[in-house]
Amino acid sequence: MRVETTKGFESWLRGEPGQLAGSGLEWLESQRRTARDRLRGQGVPSSKQEAWRYTSLKGLLEQGFAPIEEVVDTLQPSDLERFLIPGLETHRVVLVNGRYAPALSALGELPKGARLSALNALLESDPEVVRARLNQVAGAKQSLFSALNTAGLDDGLVVILDAGVRLEHPIELIHLSIGMDEPRVAQPRHLLVLEAGAQATLIERYLSLEGAAYCTNAVLELSLGRDASLQHERIQLESTNAFHVTGLYLSQDSGSRYQGVNLGLGASWARTDLVTGFRGEQAECGLQGLYLAGDRQLMDYHLDVDHSLPQCSSRENFKGILYGKGRAVFDGRVYVAKDAQKTDAAMSNRNLMLSERAEIDTKPQLEINADDVKCSHGTTVGQIEPEMLFYLRSRGISESLARRMLCLGFAGEIIQALSTESLRDHVTEQVGQRLESAPLN
Amino acid sequence: MTPTPAVEDIVRSDYEHGFTTEIESDTLPPGLDEQVVRAISRRKGEPEFMTEWRLKAYRRWLTMQEPAWASVHYPRIDFQSISYYSAPKRPEDGPKSLDEVDPALLETYEKLGIPIEEQKALAGIAVDAVFDSVSVATTFRETLAEAGVIFCSISEAVQEHPDLVRAYLGSVVPHTDNFYAGLNSAVFSDGTFVYVPKGVRCPMELSTYFRINARNTGQFERTLIIAEPGSYVSYLEGCTAPQRDENQLHAAVVELIALEDAEIKYSTVQNWYPGDEEGRGGIYNFVTKRGDCRGARSKISWTQVETGSAITWKYPSCILRGDDSIGEFYSVAVTKGRQQADTGTKMIHLGKNTRSTIVSKGISAGQGRQTYRGLVRISQRAEGARNHTQCDSLLIGDRCSANTFPYIEVKHPSAKMEHEATTSKISDDQLFYCRARGLTEEDAVSMIVNGFCKEVFNELPMEFAVEAQKLLSISLEGAVG
Repeated sequence: MRVETTKGFESWLRGEPGQLAGSGLEWLESQRRTARDRLRGQGVPSSKQEAWRYTSLKGLLEQGFAPIEEVVDTLQPSDLERFLIPGLETHRVVLVNGRYAPALSALGELPKGARLSALNALLESDPEVVRARLNQVAGAKQSLFSALNTAGLDDGLVVILDAGVRLEHPIELIHLSIGMDEPRVAQPRHLLVLEAGAQATLIERYLSLEGAAYCTNAVLELSLGRDASLQHERIQLESTNAFHVTGLYLSQDSGSRYQGVNLGLGASWARTDLVTGFRGEQAECGLQGLYLAGDRQLMDYHLDVDHSLPQCSSRENFKGILYGKGRAVFDGRVYVAKDAQKTDAAMSNRNLMLSERAEIDTKPQLEINADDVKCSHGTTVGQIEPEMLFYLRSRGISESLARRMLCLGFAGEIIQALSTESLRDHVTEQVGQRLESAPLN
Repeated sequence: MTPTPAVEDIVRSDYEHGFTTEIESDTLPPGLDEQVVRAISRRKGEPEFMTEWRLKAYRRWLTMQEPAWASVHYPRIDFQSISYYSAPKRPEDGPKSLDEVDPALLETYEKLGIPIEEQKALAGIAVDAVFDSVSVATTFRETLAEAGVIFCSISEAVQEHPDLVRAYLGSVVPHTDNFYAGLNSAVFSDGTFVYVPKGVRCPMELSTYFRINARNTGQFERTLIIAEPGSYVSYLEGCTAPQRDENQLHAAVVELIALEDAEIKYSTVQNWYPGDEEGRGGIYNFVTKRGDCRGARSKISWTQVETGSAITWKYPSCILRGDDSIGEFYSVAVTKGRQQADTGTKMIHLGKNTRSTIVSKGISAGQGRQTYRGLVRISQRAEGARNHTQCDSLLIGDRCSANTFPYIEVKHPSAKMEHEATTSKISDDQLFYCRARGLTEEDAVSMIVNGFCKEVFNELPMEFAVEAQKLLSISLEGAVG
């Protein structure tokens, strides 16, 4: 059963809103209604809109994705084993098709004041906790896809760390997608709240069991209290016929520190919106990213870094490797408000283009309204230097291996930003595998 | 950082060149319809094809939308309240030499400090002075004619070289290009035409001084420069304008065509009236400038120093069609008071081994708003294309703003593309260093700002470089941070 493409996102809103989590809660219903109304009033974005200038929604809309209704609970812990990273000790939360899977999760022991729960369950047991935090960070700035997520909001991960709580092990969020008979969209909604001085590492992994085309439309709302610190690592390894959308919204109090590493390695069409904001002075925000785009792949990153307060610093560093018919879009915006003096922001986007049919569209923007600031951006597009290749070839290394080594070296800067060695090894291997199968010349 | 009183003084200082010459104008009443377009064409005695060309542009313009994407704010323009034609009186017995020029005109030039008579002898520059919309004085034509260079007003070119005009006009900026180019195509009053024949190196730098005069008349200049294979021409454009109350619309179109091995160098110093303290009355400068490197190894270079106008909306571009062709863009833009500038360039790489360089320096003071907006597109067949872009912004005062919006689209792996942008202020360290060596604050700032802009000034012809530096120091001297 296919839905007409001309209807845009109509199929996404199909289904019974009454069956979603917390459907009796008036405040939640109102948020969903507002999102639905906004979506109905707003047509499908075209390339005339700046945010969608280089990215076509045609392929995604043709699929006519509809929300997932049935819960997949047939998976056994043994099914998950091949996805686990050896030597990585974590508080593991597993979602299957956007829904919490308790049988696969292993939360482990958590210190006092740390709370890890499924959004769906929390809406049943303690809705007020969710009410105080949901849509607080994303709010008015949320994108079209995030509004879709709000309209169909049902499950996800909620992490709340009380003041001063430090997690020794990372939280590992595994999102597993299983293709269904029809094209389906999973819309997990994650909330992470770190109160003053709390510290944590969050590792997000988007994985799939082979199957039909599907879509993941995830939204994360991260709120960092005073002096809180979050290391956030995302590894997107969706299947090659998947669509992946992320809306990440960050709000930082004074003195807080956020370090994000985004790795886009899978999916045929991936769009990531990173929206950051400072609520207090002297906060630090780091956004790093690596994307690989090969045949029939599009990687689209949009960064919106808002320096509305003085004395904050941000670093944005994204690197891309393009091969085959791969396409990538990078749209980064650093905004410095009128009184945000002593802002320190640096944005960099570097791309390695390995084939004639690849394409990169990059747009690093600065909007500066204060004078005592240090802001810069840089972009490069280039290919592997023949001198470097020659150096390696003259030492008896085959051309394909030499190319792979140079690409891995290029990617290495971002991979090294991952906090655990086992994860670095895992990612290096994944990147290596992709480059091996890629036509690198 | 708050500006010192000295900055406030400078920023508040009245426009130096603000005066109006009383001269009787043969002006059409405000308003625009097909009749007006026909009337302009008739008054200029244009052949039928030009009238049709204008009407086609006008009809298309009616269907076009005013662009709203630029980062500038201004009240809606009422296109029906503008008078679309104004020519100095007595065009029928137009002056044949400077002696015949209306003395009031010459007086205006003198006030501006343009030694039009002396230029012949001293600078060796042929001046096609545009006073309002009709060219009234052209010098050194004989010398140019000897070399075979045609340098005249575009109205004359329509009469005398219709084949060239027909072949090239609108071939780089078609009337369908954008709203203001469409409007210009319909109503353009006059402008400059340059044709450099094959293998000729133009014996002098060509220059046109524009001067907006009669009240309430938008100026719609049209410039067309054609460089035949192996030729070279350097063209200078500079302007000042008298003080007035109404906002003035200026929507020019400049088209450059460089054939094989030809080179065109186009320099601009723009110092139109920027409006008063509240930004009232300044010039709206909505210009479409584009160069087409049609032939292999051709080169087009844009250099601009933009210090005037209330609003500047201008993107001199290069289409690098020929293999091994080169495009350059050097720009210094200053916004102070309530000035707004949204400017930049487009480099469209189509041919193999095409190269482009972009150097953009923005200085924003007071409540100035400044935006660099640029596009570098490297197409699928532009093998070996190379681009380097450097955009720097200097902020003076805490109420100004500087934006950078570069668009980079690369479709070929052998392309090398670099883009760098920085935003900074004049640092206390730099100032201290200069002060410690006995320089006054003003000299130190002037020195630092000139150093900041040096890369661009170096590209200007000598006379212009001097003028540009002077302009810059008038605009910013005393702006100590």
